[in-house]
Amino acid sequence: MTPSSKLPTVRRLVSRAAPLALCTALLATAATAAPQSGKLAIKAGKILTKPGAPAIEDGVIVIVDGRISAVGGADTEIPWDAEVIDAPQWVAFPGFVEAHTSNGIDRPNENIDIVPFLQISDSVDPVAFFFEDALRWGMTTINVQQGNQTVIAGQGLIVKPTGMTVEEMLVSTDAGLKLSATPKRGNSSATQVQTLRQAFGDLRRYLEDLVQQKKDGSDQSRREALFQGRELEGEAAKGRAMEGSAWKVEGLERVPRGEIDEKQAPLLTLVEGRMRAFFYCGRAMDVVHALAIARENGFLAQTALLLDGDSWKAADRIAEAGVPAIWEGDVMFSERDVITGELRETFVPGELDRRGVRFALSSENPSSQSLWYQAALCVGQGLPRAKALAAVTIVPAEILGLGKRVGSLEVGKDGNVLLLSGDPLAVTSWVERVVIEGRPVYDRSTDIRIQHLLEGQTPPGTMAMGASLERGPVCCEELLPHTHEAGEVKKTDGEQGEKKDEKKPEDKPEQKKPDEKQQGGEPK
Amino acid sequence: MILGLILSSLLAPVAVQELEGNSWSVWADRVYTAAGDLLEGAVIRVEEGKIAAVAPGGSAPAGALRAAAVTPGMVDLSVRLLSGWTGVEHAREVNAGMRASDAVELFDERWKAVARSGVTTALVNPPDFNVIGGLGLAVKTAGGPDGAARELAPERVVRGAMGAQPSTRNHPAFGRPEDLYSRRPTTRMGVEWEHRAAFYDAAASRADAQRAFPGSPELLRVLDGELPFMVQAWTTQDIRTAVFLKEEIEREGLGRPRFVIDAAAEAWREPQLLVRSGVAVVLPPFAPLGRTGEDAFMTIGSAKLLSDLGVPLALSAHGNTSAGNSLCRQAGWAMRGGLSFAAALAAVTITPARLIGVDERVGSLEVGKDADLVLWSGEPFEASSAVIGVLIDGRIVLDPRAGAEQAD
Repeated sequence: MTPSSKLPTVRRLVSRAAPLALCTALLATAATAAPQSGKLAIKAGKILTKPGAPAIEDGVIVIVDGRISAVGGADTEIPWDAEVIDAPQWVAFPGFVEAHTSNGIDRPNENIDIVPFLQISDSVDPVAFFFEDALRWGMTTINVQQGNQTVIAGQGLIVKPTGMTVEEMLVSTDAGLKLSATPKRGNSSATQVQTLRQAFGDLRRYLEDLVQQKKDGSDQSRREALFQGRELEGEAAKGRAMEGSAWKVEGLERVPRGEIDEKQAPLLTLVEGRMRAFFYCGRAMDVVHALAIARENGFLAQTALLLDGDSWKAADRIAEAGVPAIWEGDVMFSERDVITGELRETFVPGELDRRGVRFALSSENPSSQSLWYQAALCVGQGLPRAKALAAVTIVPAEILGLGKRVGSLEVGKDGNVLLLSGDPLAVTSWVERVVIEGRPVYDRSTDIRIQHLLEGQTPPGTMAMGASLERGPVCCEELLPHTHEAGEVKKTDGEQGEKKDEKKPEDKPEQKKPDEKQQGGEPK
Repeated sequence: MILGLILSSLLAPVAVQELEGNSWSVWADRVYTAAGDLLEGAVIRVEEGKIAAVAPGGSAPAGALRAAAVTPGMVDLSVRLLSGWTGVEHAREVNAGMRASDAVELFDERWKAVARSGVTTALVNPPDFNVIGGLGLAVKTAGGPDGAARELAPERVVRGAMGAQPSTRNHPAFGRPEDLYSRRPTTRMGVEWEHRAAFYDAAASRADAQRAFPGSPELLRVLDGELPFMVQAWTTQDIRTAVFLKEEIEREGLGRPRFVIDAAAEAWREPQLLVRSGVAVVLPPFAPLGRTGEDAFMTIGSAKLLSDLGVPLALSAHGNTSAGNSLCRQAGWAMRGGLSFAAALAAVTITPARLIGVDERVGSLEVGKDADLVLWSGEPFEASSAVIGVLIDGRIVLDPRAGAEQAD
């Protein structure tokens, strides 16, 4: 890129000091981040389209309007008006998919037991450091859910780590509910399981009561709905027979759906099998409870288990139930023998694989936040490479119901591409560029925080050390190291220069305030 | 098991020759000796616990233990694995004569995990709640039939600590009931003053035997350069204090001590200071966001920077043995920060062995040295490689054949 294209990075940052200007400026950035033609072509030295597929040497990925329109060899046709990222020594790889995290929200846990009516979209903090760092590690699709210290928590959200508002970050609202079979603080297992069961029992009695009211000719629920200011028109005014495989309330079609209490409606959706569930199991005994509750209430087919601790010991039950799992623990589970004191280690993903459980890996684990590192450690312990890579790309995508949108580089899927300096699992590889839905959103060569992390360099006037925004414009062009010749953004039609200033989205990391609160936050 | 399947696909099935004890042949596609060039396809012959031959070329002998790669056993100078009460020693602030060898539990189960992570030699130091804690000892992490066989040398360094840790929880005696912490120092300045006083007092005891005190003989050995002074200093100011202490000792003619700065997280800030004073550095474990102990900030490029400047450099995992954070992962992180493989290998093998003077026996694969070997499933230090076998003094601590057997 030309030097002039880098200058605005800092200037724009500084000009945003005024709070009112902040939102507008960032929105403008987001709006102009996409290539003007809506077409982006990535020429990479190697393309790894999906785990297990042969690599394409000197390949081309074409992204039109955010979707991949072509993936192929050097002879792939590039639209004349596409912007081109030419990266002959880099490896293109699908963005990593995080199947479940409680990071990036202001507070992971709600202290009320049953809160399925809460929306995590009200909690997501777009400027949280977690999302900035997610780009650095190549996570492009993230399922944000409430924490594990809960009974039935709120509804999650699937986001991409870019944007100033939740709407901009949105990938899918169809994330699902969070439940926990592991006792929250203060609960015993008996209380926890009892509370879970009671929630569904209460739902059933509530629905039966509604039906009875309709039969009796009482319109109490209607008055309640109007009192709460709910719309009772269109679909909401219609009744519908209860779906679901486990239990049904006869006559529910008499009750307009809009009249059902908002606090109960999400659980009804769950029981009808129309909502995903993420069920946390920190211990093997919890798995049995979670599977039973999901089965009894008809949402087993929509359930994914979040596994930690010794829960993997119930792998046979999980495989039998046919539900996928998300492993949140260390790749090696270690326990001390009660009698001999001997430390025994178990390679958990290997164990899950051997016993036929389909699983994803998670960045929510003690050893490192990055998904590639988890996958690499699994390869070291003997998991086949394709399975390890699948566990951080296509498998979590499928668990999230996004198997047709993300998780691999295939025609029709979202244009989420990582450009890596080497093999995705090599310890010396870095994420050089991140493209999300066809928009370049991260560039390591302008990532000030990573320069600081690597070499301790902090250009003056930047925010890496919490410097004030109001110091006035500082040109730090000379201070930013230029280590990468590859990856130049070019226009094929030769019209370079003038559009550069607006379309630069790579300054993502500096847009955000340091938010170190994340690090020592509440336990999940 | 999965591991087994992979192993057997990586390596041709071997006829397992049951050799009891400490004599083996080990064959690997790549042998990194830490004492010269890489050997492509080499056999290491182990006899009676010692390396009898390192022979490149040829093919694997029948019954050999096999791996994708072999390196020397790793050496960690800061394992922090003392058993029992590891708090403050109430007797004195300066206890140069106390011995960690009296407190180490060699048969603690944790040592097995350390050994399985590929660390075969470890320096165990006294805890750092005293200014000068005492004598650190070098041990083999496993292998020997008894404690005596595991001890490499009981007195390898004198351990000190700069910074906040020695004064943690201390408070003046007045104004509240006497307790264990009614003691000095209570500040960083006080900690540094105690160090200087100790060395000056020890130097004074050279001429006047009346001024000798418990621990002064050991401090004299430090001043004479016989034992290294291994001092913990996380932050820039503590590193400066340690370096200036060394330079003052030399300038005032008290002696010519050798300093090893442990947990030198912020060594990258003033690397020239370290070069000038000729100290060696042990880096603490890397942190993904840079923040290590005592809120010190360590760059990922630290190891490369110091290594390029010629500062003798060792890495440490501080006793962490988890799959993601053990010593070999620290070497991987150093490489991620730009350090070459050869330098990373040296920083976990021969350099730390030299720093504590046990390089005659361990730290590289050379004929006559102890047969401490690590067998790898792939390229050492890659996150996608694991330690699959460990030999200490020729004895199998982690059996590389275990996976292959289970595959049947």
